[in-house]
Amino acid sequence: MTEPAVVADASRCASCGEALIPGDQFCEACGAITSDGAAAGMPMEGIAQQAPTSGAGRQLPPNGGASGGVGGVCASCGAGVVDGYCVSCGVKARTARDHWSELPAAWLGGVCDRGLVHARNEDAMALAATADETLGVLVVCDGVTSAPESDRASLAAARAACQSLLSAGLTVPSGTSAAAIAGWAAELTAAAAAGNAEAVGVARILGNPPEPPSCTFVAAVVARPDGQHDDQALISVGWCGDSRAYWVPDDGEPIQLGRDHSLGTEMIDAGVAVAKAEADPTSHTITRWLGADSVNATPDLVSLQVATSGWLAVVSDGMWNYASSPAEFAAVVRDSIAGDDPVAIAQAMVAVANGHGGHDNITVALARLDFPTPTN
Amino acid sequence: MANFSAQVFQNEYLAEGSTDANAVVSVTCTDAGMAGAGATGEAAEVIIVDTSGSMEMPVAKINAARRAAKVAISEIVDGTWFAVVSGHSVAQMVYPTQPGLAQMNDERRAAAIEAVGRLSSGGATAIGAWINAATELFSFRPHAQAHAILLTDGRIEGEPEGTLEAALRRAEGKFQCDCRGIGADWEVAELRGIADALLGSVDIVADPDDLADDFGEMMRRSMGRGVSDVRLRVWAPQGSEVLFVRQVAPTVEDLSAKALQEGPLIRSYPTGAWGDESRDYHISVRVPPAPVGQERLAARVELVVDGNVVAKGLIRALWSTDVQRTTRIDPAVAHYTGQTDLADRIQRGLAAKAAGDTDAATVLLGEAAKLAHQSGNENTTRLLAKVVDVVDADAGTVRLKKNIDKADEMALDTRSTKTTRIRREPQP
Repeated sequence: MTEPAVVADASRCASCGEALIPGDQFCEACGAITSDGAAAGMPMEGIAQQAPTSGAGRQLPPNGGASGGVGGVCASCGAGVVDGYCVSCGVKARTARDHWSELPAAWLGGVCDRGLVHARNEDAMALAATADETLGVLVVCDGVTSAPESDRASLAAARAACQSLLSAGLTVPSGTSAAAIAGWAAELTAAAAAGNAEAVGVARILGNPPEPPSCTFVAAVVARPDGQHDDQALISVGWCGDSRAYWVPDDGEPIQLGRDHSLGTEMIDAGVAVAKAEADPTSHTITRWLGADSVNATPDLVSLQVATSGWLAVVSDGMWNYASSPAEFAAVVRDSIAGDDPVAIAQAMVAVANGHGGHDNITVALARLDFPTPTN
Repeated sequence: MANFSAQVFQNEYLAEGSTDANAVVSVTCTDAGMAGAGATGEAAEVIIVDTSGSMEMPVAKINAARRAAKVAISEIVDGTWFAVVSGHSVAQMVYPTQPGLAQMNDERRAAAIEAVGRLSSGGATAIGAWINAATELFSFRPHAQAHAILLTDGRIEGEPEGTLEAALRRAEGKFQCDCRGIGADWEVAELRGIADALLGSVDIVADPDDLADDFGEMMRRSMGRGVSDVRLRVWAPQGSEVLFVRQVAPTVEDLSAKALQEGPLIRSYPTGAWGDESRDYHISVRVPPAPVGQERLAARVELVVDGNVVAKGLIRALWSTDVQRTTRIDPAVAHYTGQTDLADRIQRGLAAKAAGDTDAATVLLGEAAKLAHQSGNENTTRLLAKVVDVVDADAGTVRLKKNIDKADEMALDTRSTKTTRIRREPQP
């Protein structure tokens, strides 16, 4: 009688007492990490480990991912936080799942943010660099809002895809780029398959609901210029759905790498004006995705060799909705540059999207490609 | 060891600018154990039997009271502190003979039963004095889980106005009291007032032959309440207003007026002792609206025993522009809102009838018939059918019956607060 029942019961969140679905890695109600989440290596410490450098504590969200659900400060009124909510005004504290940043290398980082309107952050990202920092991997997945628990599918898929690429033994192209591109194509396809398997696995844990959780997929592999080859950098992108990659050179024409799998793109292909197609309510309906009900989870692929310095951006539609064309997008990137910290720039871009209303979740992942300034 | 759990039923989505969060919190207690077996280790029972002169008219009533008291005594478990009081113009000790509580064992059980057999009647109905006597008796064991059964057959006569109210103010929080009216000459409002103040039940026993079973059942239930003094604690955010806290199952009891302010944002409400049972609470909180997409905790509801939180539920408010989400009413909230309205229409309808306003009574009882029919509350539908002829249940059209048995009307009144539970899963 003296032991709180909420603590004794493993089927409930230790922090707030909300019922948990077996396999839940964080509490839906308060965002606290569950024992399953800790066991699966999903705790927010995991995110912090992926971002080992610089900016003490910056990667941890305001409530520190406190698994006790107690601690932190309310972003709205400054009072304390219990059960994931402010003890005074009751406003929900931002959880580690709502907003986080990753900075696996000084030239590679990103921000994933709930935005202002959606109750959950169904976007996810996973970023990594090889130990020698010659290669970077950027994965963004955007959970499908109409399918419950897509926030879980997107995070699991993004992390699995990133891990798949890291463990594939990616090599920097030597000799012809064509050989590297061919190799990476297979690895990007395998990464999408790994992400798809995770999304399907989440559906299975949930008992295969009629609307299984699902998400978009975009992964980029980038080889940095190292000055030893022919002074070219290589970017390879694979995607399913409408999360995008853009190349924004410091000088020159920005481009979008790939085309959305969406009804909007199909409308444009059928001759509808871009502005009209993008304004159509169905334009965001995607035609390719990862998940148990996916009919085609094979990514389309595109590669690009670049010879000038610039930024590779991998983003969800919560970002590009406010700057769709490569020129508009590049303008947002360039306006957001202050210093060379990719997380700071990504955060500034997220702020732009939130400034426009933050109607969707927002993810911005950036990789900086720098060519040595010519010596003469 | 008792185990509490709480489950919240609500639609957390509010339209932009909306302020009112409603939820049903369903609390279940299991493994409660026996009364007096908990940390405080003591239980106390006082049985108050009306022995006013009217109990002899007919003599079946005093005979039934004697039998019922015996049954109740035999249900009191060994070790419980107890007393039997005879209530007329004053409260008089039946067992033990001197003011105080006896600790139950075989010998005292037999002696108490024997003493009850000698009960005789005469004098007035002074319920305030009887309540005062119970309060004094329980003060002999101030830490015991205290429960009384009060039986009367009439309305208060023979004590100054305000005596009962003063007695209730002294008794509140010291013991719980289940009230029973025998026959049809007592006042429903009077007993309901006692039961409300002292966290007990009220019911009519129209047939004296049913009294013994009812007393046995009441005492068994009391002995099965192994967790004493459970409080419902409600936190609500700065700038909010708790509109009401209402028990809605098994009966409708508005707890709002019983709030104890524990802190600037925290109120607590007494719920008395618990056995193995479920109770549902409808809680309504008005919170300051937040921007679309933001979520606010509208209330944290905790069950507190001996200062420990034993179960917790969170009532949330989440502002959205999604009309499909914001316009849905949670089925539990809708059901219990209907059941509360049902009790309200019956009580107001019968009051209107008593005041001679037949038109108002017909409209109100018609609404009640409709609500009872729609919610599948068969007991209330059956009780209503003894007071009105239902012409069209779906439309709520009724006619007041010509010759209504007073006891049927009183049964409808006292049992109007009994609710049906919402069916949460479709039955196979």
